Amino acid sequence: MFMLHVFQWLGNSPVGIFMQQSTYAFAVTEMLHLLSLSILGGTILIVDLRLLGVGLRSQSAAALDRELKPYLIGSLTVSVLTGILLLSEEPMKCYYNEAFRLKMLFLALAVFFYFIIQERLFQREPSAGTNLLAKAMGVVSLLLWLSVGLAGRAIGII
Amino acid sequence: MLREFCQWLYDSTIGTSIRESIWVFPIIETIHVLGITLLIGTIAILDLRLLGLVLRREEVSRLASQILPLTWAGFGVMFVSGFLLFWAEAAKCYANPAFRIKLLLLILVGLNPLVFHLTIYRSVLSWNEQLVTPLRARLAGFFSLTLWGGIVCAGRAIAYFQK
Repeated sequence: MFMLHVFQWLGNSPVGIFMQQSTYAFAVTEMLHLLSLSILGGTILIVDLRLLGVGLRSQSAAALDRELKPYLIGSLTVSVLTGILLLSEEPMKCYYNEAFRLKMLFLALAVFFYFIIQERLFQREPSAGTNLLAKAMGVVSLLLWLSVGLAGRAIGII
Repeated sequence: MLREFCQWLYDSTIGTSIRESIWVFPIIETIHVLGITLLIGTIAILDLRLLGLVLRREEVSRLASQILPLTWAGFGVMFVSGFLLFWAEAAKCYANPAFRIKLLLLILVGLNPLVFHLTIYRSVLSWNEQLVTPLRARLAGFFSLTLWGGIVCAGRAIAYFQK
């Protein structure tokens, strides 16, 4: 029930009303959402592919992660913020949309996996990127983010 | 000529079946976006390195040789899936201003690495390890990032102009 109230409040907030009434706001926000997604997806791909032994092999996965983290966090922030704006345009439709619920679930799992589990691996094994554990982590992370993307695309279809 | 070709693609069996299927079009669309993520994510790393913003201790040529195979893989996925999407909607795309802008930007973004490789990249060994690369290399990185960003925006806008 609590979330329902939050969604209703979002839809009735000044931001929600602006998004609903403006002709271009939704389209422009969606473009920003996509732009930040390509950076976010790109940085995640680079690190996960490196865990699988593909791509930038002259760097360790942990070093790559350290270098790319500002871009990952920055683009994640922009996509969440633009995502909230997109949500405020039709919160009730999203609330009852199963694809939206799945997307939020996968997003929470993916973020948790990256910041809590993968980070631990990078801290414990700075040269990670060759063993089976590292490969498994790369696969799990890729699958989680892929599910976020697929569920996200499905919001507009179902 | 072009208009007739687009109409012919649009009316073809394959074009019609992609367009009229409930699932095929969105699935190809999703693959297209994933391909773009791989393409832009990897090329952006190289561009940001040229601008001196990431992986500054990595040699540019070594970075390029490791990352460009991934970029090409993304390009392949994007191109094939993009052509299938175009096939299904060719007649509508022909008159679509966002689609025209996107094609123009794609040509420009293709010319950029061509110029880059034929000019400044020839001397890459002399600036390979520099934190800040020569101006022309930085310009190539900047144009690549802005053009690809424009392509994503124009690509998204196609759907708004499709009648």
